[in-house]
Amino acid sequence: MSAVIRAENLSKWYGNVLGLSEVTLEIENGVTGLLGPNGAGKSTFMKLVTGQMKPNIGSVTVGGRRAWNDPALFAKIGFCPEPDAFYEDVTGWEFLTGLLRLQGFCRAEAAERAARALDIVDLAKDKDRLIRGYSRGMRQRVKFAQAIAHDPEIIVLDEPLSGLDPLSKRKLIKLIKDFRSEGRTVLVSSHVLPEIEALTSRIVLIHQGKILAQGDIPYVRELIEAHPHVISIRSSDPRRLAAGFIGDAAVRKLTFDPDGKTLVIETHKRDAFFGRLTGAVLEAGVLVDEITSPDDNLQAVFDYLVGK
Amino acid sequence: MTAKQSIAAFGASASQVFAFYFILGRKSAKTRVFALLGLVPVVLAVVVRIVMRGRAEDVMAVFTEILMVLFLQFYIVILSLFFGTSIVAEEIEGRTLPYLITRPLTKPGIIVGKFGAYALLMALMVTVNLALSYFIMNGYRLGEASLYLTFLRYAGVLGLGVLAYTAFFVFLGAVLKRAILVGLVFGFGWENVIQYFPGSTQKFSLVHYLKSLLPYRPAPGGKSTLSLLLFRLEPTTPAVSILTLAAVTAVLLALACWIFRAKEYLFEE
Repeated sequence: MSAVIRAENLSKWYGNVLGLSEVTLEIENGVTGLLGPNGAGKSTFMKLVTGQMKPNIGSVTVGGRRAWNDPALFAKIGFCPEPDAFYEDVTGWEFLTGLLRLQGFCRAEAAERAARALDIVDLAKDKDRLIRGYSRGMRQRVKFAQAIAHDPEIIVLDEPLSGLDPLSKRKLIKLIKDFRSEGRTVLVSSHVLPEIEALTSRIVLIHQGKILAQGDIPYVRELIEAHPHVISIRSSDPRRLAAGFIGDAAVRKLTFDPDGKTLVIETHKRDAFFGRLTGAVLEAGVLVDEITSPDDNLQAVFDYLVGK
Repeated sequence: MTAKQSIAAFGASASQVFAFYFILGRKSAKTRVFALLGLVPVVLAVVVRIVMRGRAEDVMAVFTEILMVLFLQFYIVILSLFFGTSIVAEEIEGRTLPYLITRPLTKPGIIVGKFGAYALLMALMVTVNLALSYFIMNGYRLGEASLYLTFLRYAGVLGLGVLAYTAFFVFLGAVLKRAILVGLVFGFGWENVIQYFPGSTQKFSLVHYLKSLLPYRPAPGGKSTLSLLLFRLEPTTPAVSILTLAAVTAVLLALACWIFRAKEYLFEE
């Protein structure tokens, strides 16, 4: 399969700040997840792909064409930006029809497409309300609608699931998955691994402007699994609970917090550990107040992967 | 892409952007505020009409030397400053630029389309307020055909002013981050001072060419009221004035398009 989006030695910096560094990447048809903590370079990469910025070094092509200052290419691209930014004084309907008119559609077709897109994101009944009065989730949905209303071949979505309620999130995930079966190319970014996992099995890990790893989810999971996780459990009797884990091969270290109420467990098999946790709690017969994982976030995983 | 295709793409982009921003502009709070501000000369016209009852011969002098000062040296300058600099700046500050530049639109088409939409909005605001104040003051001679011709000339002068000033401020907005401050210095500093310099120095201001096109001149040796607007004016011929204003508009707009096409606009995080 040939690459739709191709980046070669792509570098971009803002003054002294490095945005992207020597990124070489090929993105094929289907859904590709761009995963990285905030400030990793995901948005920079997407802005370069959508021609909003030009590379300092290297090149990025979409369908074999350089994106910077090639307006004809944008008929094929749909972009959902990350910032919560709108023309606030228009209604959802005016926003969509207006942008579709800018896409080159006649009035009737713009109206038809806007109605369809608003229906897809469940905003049909709120279409005549000013965007200023939309909730965060509605704003996120209308932003998504403008990215897909013109049926683009290539869809670039920058954190499209942030701010959505679970139901809308599920619907959007299904929709994005459907794009894959329609043969479209979707590039979607997130800093939340489960979100990306729900969307695709093909992911690119990006950190500090560099591609850290790319491949399918099991491979990345493997990398993450190797990362020792720390889990704190506040309970009525932490020592009794600890006794149940002594023989567990997944546990590397057991310590107690000075308050005497918290058991801190280090494991390198996070999923296996959580699989056993409920049983262990029941066996020990203790009351659990709180379970937290201080480093259960992407930043910690990335820090681990880059050897910090 | 051939030259013919490029021109067609530019024309299509400009007309689509024009239609979109004319609607957005009409609905914006900025437009409402400036439309209200335009009522100041209208209120003044009512006051002048009441005060000058029975002194019909001085009405045109007062209109030119007081009300036109407001229109020419304040209203169109402030309108053009805020609308012109906002053509690029509002997209950056509002972070809405991606909606525009990821569409199949040429960047010069975006600038020219927005310029056209905002210029038309401003021209409408100026013309309505000018018509109200002009006809309130000249209400006693509505039957004279010359009254309407003179009005058209005043409206034309202000229209040219809107185009030239807006082109200048669009250019500033495309180049600078804080264009409005530089624009204030230009519009109310440079333009206000340089126009009163004798000789050819006054020709380095846009307002000089606009004043040169005004239909009313005080009679030589005649009694003039407040000659603030026409003080020290050494007029340029109408043809040269129109050509100069048109050239300034075209060149500055072309430069703004070129800069907007070449420059990356980054949002402040």
